[in-house]
Amino acid sequence: MREGLKFGAACLIGALSALGASGQEEVYLKVTSPGLSRVMIAMADIPSRPGTDPTAAGTLLATLRKDLDETAVIGLVSQENALLVVVDPNNPTLTRQRWRSVGAQFLLDGTIASAGNQLVLEARLWDLTSGEVAYSRRFQGTVNLAATMGHTLANELVHLFTGRPGPFLSRIAFVSDRSGAKELWVMRWDGSDPQQLTSHRSIALSPAWSPDGQWLAFTSFLRGSPQLFVFRPTEGYLKVLSSLPGVNSSPSFSPDGKLVAFAAGEGGETDIYVVPADSGTPERLTHSRAISTQPAWSPSGRQIVFTSSVGGSPQLYVMDAEGTNVRRLTFEDKYADEAAWSPDGVKIAYTALVDDRFQIAILDLRTNARSIIPGPGNNESPCWSPDGTVLAFVSNRTGAKQIFITDQVGRPRQITTEGNNIQPSWVALVQ
Amino acid sequence: MSSLRTDKLLVGVLFLAIGLGPACAHHKGVVAPEPQSGSEAEKPAPQPPGGGTTTVTPEPRINAAENPESGISTRELPASLEEINKAGFVKDAFFDTDKSDLRPDARDVLAADASWLKDHPTVKFLVEGHCDERNTEEYNLALGWRRANAVKAYLESLGVGADRISTISYGEEKPFATCHDESCWWQNRRAHFLITAR
Repeated sequence: MREGLKFGAACLIGALSALGASGQEEVYLKVTSPGLSRVMIAMADIPSRPGTDPTAAGTLLATLRKDLDETAVIGLVSQENALLVVVDPNNPTLTRQRWRSVGAQFLLDGTIASAGNQLVLEARLWDLTSGEVAYSRRFQGTVNLAATMGHTLANELVHLFTGRPGPFLSRIAFVSDRSGAKELWVMRWDGSDPQQLTSHRSIALSPAWSPDGQWLAFTSFLRGSPQLFVFRPTEGYLKVLSSLPGVNSSPSFSPDGKLVAFAAGEGGETDIYVVPADSGTPERLTHSRAISTQPAWSPSGRQIVFTSSVGGSPQLYVMDAEGTNVRRLTFEDKYADEAAWSPDGVKIAYTALVDDRFQIAILDLRTNARSIIPGPGNNESPCWSPDGTVLAFVSNRTGAKQIFITDQVGRPRQITTEGNNIQPSWVALVQ
Repeated sequence: MSSLRTDKLLVGVLFLAIGLGPACAHHKGVVAPEPQSGSEAEKPAPQPPGGGTTTVTPEPRINAAENPESGISTRELPASLEEINKAGFVKDAFFDTDKSDLRPDARDVLAADASWLKDHPTVKFLVEGHCDERNTEEYNLALGWRRANAVKAYLESLGVGADRISTISYGEEKPFATCHDESCWWQNRRAHFLITAR
């Protein structure tokens, strides 16, 4: 099974960082109001030079179109509308005006060529208001990386408009019982290409990625009592990180990847601990007689949000990363759990009990305003995309527990179907 | 690993033995003690129905397992741990929603358990904390841990040696009943006993 794990993403990391380094792009962040309007891009006909592998070119363009169609920040002008635009090569101003008249703010054009096993995409993004090139890139790779090339360009465009990495090469780790036991799985952000990571036939729970996508921390009953493990998916390497008494549950990597916060405790107690990610002695951070669990680091690494029942019902609390300065965050809900700090640090998504159903809630730390992403059924385990634009969560609205993706105003899409699928954890790239 | 499977099997057998009635019909929405074992012990062997058909006789092994010892027994324990656990000498304790403190009925059950355990001083056992499905998985893991340890502490207070008792939480991971309402939930909020040495 390990041989079957092919993370194509790894091959493109070099290319990605090279692209990121050129840094001439302007961030069009101000163009959008978050969650409401999208930057509208028209995709021109992107022709293939003679001799280009038509399958590879088709895969690349289909991947690109699908990706751009699915992001919350970019809207694609429909193909029917794009076909209405008559391009006048001698009058670019008029042509730009025609593109704008079908709703486009930007135009993506370019060419595809291939020679031998190499595929080359040259892409340009035109600002239809100024008439200037907003973005220009040349991508080269082997023909079998056509889809990855499409994902990479889509990532670049999302980065251009949001200043954050796009989701298209990202992976979601999760727990699924589709094989008969709760095992770790990983899939692409859109639910495609699911791969089983463990075959322990035990109970695996709460996977959490290291920020660099090299490690997954998770809880397993593999050796009887629950223990905390770290696992390297690309190598199948597994080791125990904590076998303290208690639950050894809900790990969270610090943003620098050096520490793992988790929950454990003796004699029925459950408190928050931190342990060096490369193993060491766990250090206890909380000392209450109540349940403290489900820690999650702030993006700065300075704070940890967690769930505690010290006030009676489970509620969210935040403390400094050393365990000091504990204060309560949630007051409106009968039950608050499973906090996830947004990548920009200003919001916390969590699971709230609203009218006897679990709903995804978002607490804005700037205003202390709490909003609900309403939906049918029970909805839990929110997890931010690496770019912070969308959330993955779990819902039983269609029967079994399934993973959905939603933007922050609540336009969900189901991305799993087989078995029960829970506890998503999302990372930009797997290494 | 094998003990997990055994336990699952056991649970199935246990429900067969107790009968599904109390779960779904009799005790809906009510916290119910398990049925008294005496009546089942006296249950006559199943009669073949009249007519010309040959009826396959019920599996004797289940009937044998259904021969429960209530409370104190001086009889020898069955040879295998599996048989001991099937017999259900030590009764489970049930909990209120989101709670890990022991209800009066749970204390009564545990008092009987404690006296049986003191009569069988070589027996070692695992207390498993279980939860219904209504909290998050992680919270339930912590809640089940509290339940298992609350039972352990109470048994210790009644004189059962701490070195005989192990605890584990399965949270909501190994439900005894799988429907999605109180008729199943009450059965899943429990501390379950698994005898690990006789």
